[in-house]
Amino acid sequence: MGRLDQLFSTLRTSASGLAAERVRVGVIAENIAGARITKTPEGGPYRRKVVVFEPLMRKHGAGESSAVGVRATRIENDTVSPFEDVHDPSHPDADENGNVRMPNVNPLKEMADMIGSMRSYEANLSAQENFLRMAQRALDIAR
Amino acid sequence: MIGAKVDPHQVILLRLLSATTERGRVIANNIANQNTPGFTRRTVQFEQQLEQALQRPDGDPLKVLPKVVEDTTSPRRHDGNNVNAELEANAGSENRLLFETYAAILQGHLQMLDTAITNGR
Repeated sequence: MGRLDQLFSTLRTSASGLAAERVRVGVIAENIAGARITKTPEGGPYRRKVVVFEPLMRKHGAGESSAVGVRATRIENDTVSPFEDVHDPSHPDADENGNVRMPNVNPLKEMADMIGSMRSYEANLSAQENFLRMAQRALDIAR
Repeated sequence: MIGAKVDPHQVILLRLLSATTERGRVIANNIANQNTPGFTRRTVQFEQQLEQALQRPDGDPLKVLPKVVEDTTSPRRHDGNNVNAELEANAGSENRLLFETYAAILQGHLQMLDTAITNGR
């Protein structure tokens, strides 16, 4: 990458934050949608998913690297939160004791995460706005 | 540049502009990584070192360069991340205003040169 390209790397750093938060909101929406799925093609109830964020690094020679943003590297299943057994004998997926195994999604927690994610998205947007105004001001020097 | 002497004021102003640009980049990166587990926020040190070099009789302000350092003193959340979104947004606005201040000073500087060259016409 050339030097002029590096001038605007801040813009891409913020854009990577926006993209990563968008992935997170998508996964949260998926979790909320799946909060009551008791039978999935893989068998068993829906399992909550979590996004894993990692810093994006760029190497520039001799073992040196600088952080240039963030990336949602993978989406993993939440194997820590337990499924909940709810007593509902009339449910088609109830076992012989009348218990239904429900997904390990807590809609309240998902909503809180969603709000957090949206705030982070907005923070990235205003960081981008800050950079744009600085760049504009730098160009104004030449006027 | 033939026969031209580098204006130290201008060099320092340009350094200040590039230090604030670098700080803007670092803050944007902190904000992008506010939800990355184990991430350590970074800051850019420059103005304080520059001030020290300007005050000391043996200091050379032209030798001071901006430095990116990891902030290991801010408290970490349970996921090991120590970015505070509000403080970071604040730092971003403050940094932008600093940049605009330096740009205004540099522009004034250049305008004076322009006046001298064109003889005020």
